[in-house]
Amino acid sequence: MIKLQNIQKVYRTDTIETLALNGINLDVAKGEFLSIMGPSGCGKSTLLNIMGLLDEPSKGNISIAEQPTGKFNDKQLAKFRNQKLGFIFQSYHLIGDLQVIDNVELPLLYRDTTAKERRRLATEALEKVGLSNRIKHFPKQLSGGQRQRVAIARAIVGNPEIILADEPTGNLDSAMGNEIMEILLQLNRVDGTTIVMVTHDENMAQKTHRLVRLFDGSQVQ
Amino acid sequence: MFKHLFKMIWNKKKQNSLLIVEILLSFLVIFAVFTFGLNSYNNYAKPMGIDYQNVWAISYNNTLKTNNGDSLKLFYDNMVDNIKAMPKVIDAAHTSANIPFSTSHMSTGLTHNGDHIQDVNSFMVDENYPKTLNVKLLDGRWYNKTDVGSKQKVIVINNKLKERMFGKASAIGKLYNDDDGKKGVKIIGVLDDIKFNGDYQSLEYAIYNRIDTSSYRWLGKILVKVSPDANAAFESQLYKFMANNLKDSNIEIEHLTNKLTAYNKFTLVPLIILSIVAAFLIINVALGIFGVLWYNINKRRGEIGLRRAVGAPGSSVSAQLVSEAMILATLSLIVGAFFAVQFPLLNVFDLPASVYLLAMLLAVIFIYLLVLVCSLYPGKQASAILPAVALHEE
Repeated sequence: MIKLQNIQKVYRTDTIETLALNGINLDVAKGEFLSIMGPSGCGKSTLLNIMGLLDEPSKGNISIAEQPTGKFNDKQLAKFRNQKLGFIFQSYHLIGDLQVIDNVELPLLYRDTTAKERRRLATEALEKVGLSNRIKHFPKQLSGGQRQRVAIARAIVGNPEIILADEPTGNLDSAMGNEIMEILLQLNRVDGTTIVMVTHDENMAQKTHRLVRLFDGSQVQ
Repeated sequence: MFKHLFKMIWNKKKQNSLLIVEILLSFLVIFAVFTFGLNSYNNYAKPMGIDYQNVWAISYNNTLKTNNGDSLKLFYDNMVDNIKAMPKVIDAAHTSANIPFSTSHMSTGLTHNGDHIQDVNSFMVDENYPKTLNVKLLDGRWYNKTDVGSKQKVIVINNKLKERMFGKASAIGKLYNDDDGKKGVKIIGVLDDIKFNGDYQSLEYAIYNRIDTSSYRWLGKILVKVSPDANAAFESQLYKFMANNLKDSNIEIEHLTNKLTAYNKFTLVPLIILSIVAAFLIINVALGIFGVLWYNINKRRGEIGLRRAVGAPGSSVSAQLVSEAMILATLSLIVGAFFAVQFPLLNVFDLPASVYLLAMLLAVIFIYLLVLVCSLYPGKQASAILPAVALHEE
């Protein structure tokens, strides 16, 4: 589903050159739930951003859903992200000025979907994460776990084949973290969604199909 | 998408209110400038109604010892005849002090069919007035010898007054009552409108009274139409003639072209000042819009990164920011238009509704263009934000 070949990422400033990723080769199969672990600054999020086409590698090739993405222009990348990928972030990234339902609808705004259809799909997604009674709330009126569930609903509303989750339980206590993990596991098990999750939590990582460890930008497991 | 943007703006109404007020104030000032400018242009585009080129105005003060009206009339008629006999003089007319483009005004009021009309300019003129200024008689006749000593008070009015009183119908032979207590004043002629107050001022109502014998005591102007080759030497000759005829009198000769230039400044100076104020306000608003959008981008980098992540291309992010600014402008303009439309509805300043409506349209277009220009660059900057960087910063 996701194929990374010899991925290298270098961050350059005027004086410093930092090698964030070095020679990463990774295949993620369709329906797989993969977790990525490693110490802070080892390149986990950079790798996830590259998989999510949010960042470009300095070297190497990426292929997602059998499509090489290297020559995509901005519009093609945006369309691809919109249709194939769903994102979950540690800090939720909900828009505070929008109600829950409007936050969930966000990816559908960039599709050719009617307002009625958007509302239906968003409501369904919120039902899936158990938040159908919070659709008119604003993010600040929700707990951390509820916010992350809204973020999951937003990630799945467009029915993407792949979900990329960057420390989705990182800001939550263990009970809430387990709840979120359960939702992700269910999405993977029931809907067959491919999930790549960056985590610091060994317990969460153990629940996934496969674990990849990074250290100083290189894959060590 | 529009509903989505509107929802975002509505939910941030407190933060947006300052910008909305700023755009609203700019719209009102621009509307005032355009109204003033358009009205001035409309007035400018209308014909002057007279040939003021090569017309000189002689000012004098009556120093004659006699108060006998007949003697005075004889003296001044003779003086005007002598002026007319001069080689470079085409015509000359005696008139009251309120000649075209002078700051002297004499006004009265009149009543016709219960309609009381105020601020009607009143002129005292002689038989030569229309010829000297080459003003067109639109209907009826000008004064002649038959009017001398007539018991029936007769009057010539201008076209603007005629239209106010009678619309399209003829005014000739109709009667009105003036504010001086004279009833049944008969209209005998309608003169073309004259822009007495210069190129940029609106036409005004006017009546032209025939000079009577008693008027000569206080009349102090003679208009002289001269040939184009009348030069300073001739002006000096005319001055000497007047000085010789009116000993101890202060004689002054002015050219109507110079008086027009001076008078036009009365209108143009406030317009220029208002335009400068408006220009500063526009610069202020432009910087305000630019600053707010710039601030928004920096404050909303996370949101921009998120939108890019969930499928918004850079162009869409840019279009969103520009659209938000345009929606804010629209909200301001709706409120602004509500205030602006009261001017034609309440007939404020007695200007034609078309001037207000066109000024409103131009002000709306101007504000939209201003907002568009000010939001394009911040919008472009927003589209260049890398989603990974923006999301990481958040």
